[in-house]
Amino acid sequence: IPCSMAGEEDFFLEEKRFKQHCEEFVKHSQQIGDGWEWRTSKDLGDGYLSKTHFQVRNRHIPPDLKEKTDDNIEQTLLAHVEESLDDSQVAGVCTTEEVIRYEYHVLYSSSYQVPVLYFRACFLDGRPLTLEEIWRSVHACYQDRLQEGPWDTITQQEHPILGQPFFVLHPCRTNEFMSAVLTGPWKHKRHKNYIILWLSTVGPVVGLNLSLSYAKVAPEQNSSTVPA
Amino acid sequence: MTDDKDVLRDVWFGRIPTCFTLYQDEITEREAEPYYLLLPRISYLTLVTDKVKKHFQKVMRQEEVSEIWFEYEGTPLKWHYPIGLLFDLHASNTALPWSITVHFKNFPEKDLLHCHSKDVIEAHFMACIKEADALKHKSQVINEMQKKDHKQLWMGLQNDKFEQFWAINRKLMEYPPEDNGFRYIPFRIYQATTERPFIQKLFRPIASGGQLHTLGDLLKDVCPSAISPEDGEQKTQVMIHGIEPMLETPIQWLSEHMSYPDNFLHISIIPRPTD
Repeated sequence: IPCSMAGEEDFFLEEKRFKQHCEEFVKHSQQIGDGWEWRTSKDLGDGYLSKTHFQVRNRHIPPDLKEKTDDNIEQTLLAHVEESLDDSQVAGVCTTEEVIRYEYHVLYSSSYQVPVLYFRACFLDGRPLTLEEIWRSVHACYQDRLQEGPWDTITQQEHPILGQPFFVLHPCRTNEFMSAVLTGPWKHKRHKNYIILWLSTVGPVVGLNLSLSYAKVAPEQNSSTVPA
Repeated sequence: MTDDKDVLRDVWFGRIPTCFTLYQDEITEREAEPYYLLLPRISYLTLVTDKVKKHFQKVMRQEEVSEIWFEYEGTPLKWHYPIGLLFDLHASNTALPWSITVHFKNFPEKDLLHCHSKDVIEAHFMACIKEADALKHKSQVINEMQKKDHKQLWMGLQNDKFEQFWAINRKLMEYPPEDNGFRYIPFRIYQATTERPFIQKLFRPIASGGQLHTLGDLLKDVCPSAISPEDGEQKTQVMIHGIEPMLETPIQWLSEHMSYPDNFLHISIIPRPTD
């Protein structure tokens, strides 16, 4: 089994395994050209996965909505480029296309023994997105969970290797849902790459998606176990 | 036993005399006088400087004021580090009072976390406590506590109430009778000269043979450059709460008695003064 089990319900990822799974992950990324790389720190030899990508967002600010806004809250609707407006709406809408640069890092937390997703985002002029803008951009289907406990979900923290402000998706509940995935009826999934399983689950919350081809990645030593 | 409890009080009530001066380029309507304050070592800058903010805002126009931030000799001060750590790391061998410069413009986005409300400080503080308990007790103690207990830890810190804080915190300092200490020690080692903000690793307080690991053992394992070879001169100081504990001190004892309220041992490695 690629991951160590500490008790029936606990599912911890050792740092060595983390590095191995990241290596595998990067190999696949290089094959499909989706931009992930491994960065090693110069002083202590630990490291992290890194990827940068750009997203284009359309800002629609319908005139009537502007009047309804609270004084303090800027209403920003982030919509996809595909959305079409009928003629009556087009006349009143001001559209600004914005390019946002996202940088995603996957680090290992020795305290929780799980991977952690760090990210930062800024406009092309260098202005970083605020925490509020990040919260607003969380995918609609995760907004309920976010509203319940925003301070337990995504906050700004210091990157433990670079020392700069990043946003972080909190790791304390990772063990919970990863245990659910990797035990019980899904025991056969244990031979899979932990990073791929984990990132495909948490990534979409913050706009990070993995190509479906990652689902086919399996560790090289797994010749005897038959995947379901 | 009484001596050990005294250490808890000494740590909690440690203060640093500080002089706050407004940055010269800030635009004021009148001259801004410096503001003097005794800062609690165990707290956070943005939690204890409301009076500083009010004092300087009195001489400034509303439009010139945005998020406050602090700087010492050109280095932006990370509000999310405890005050005592910032002082030990940057200014411990300089003359008192500690001179901090106050800014209201040009927030350094690349260096500092934002702190728009007390909620941010509370979230950060509680996240540190939770991480410390993940190391000490696999999160069992903190998860068994009720929300009101968590609130009491924060209120104790915010209102400088030693008894209120320790009524709950003592549970985070316990361990099963069959063990001789925590599972792992929550610690971070800081050096102002590195790009990496701190070193944090898994470290057990008890060796496999049952002996207590010491501060020296920790440093040898995690940061060997901090302890120079016996024949050489000690070029660095190992500082916690403004003092240099003996390297023979058991790390379990240090964790129980000299952690900050966030339950972490924040250790500074600084150059030894050459006077």
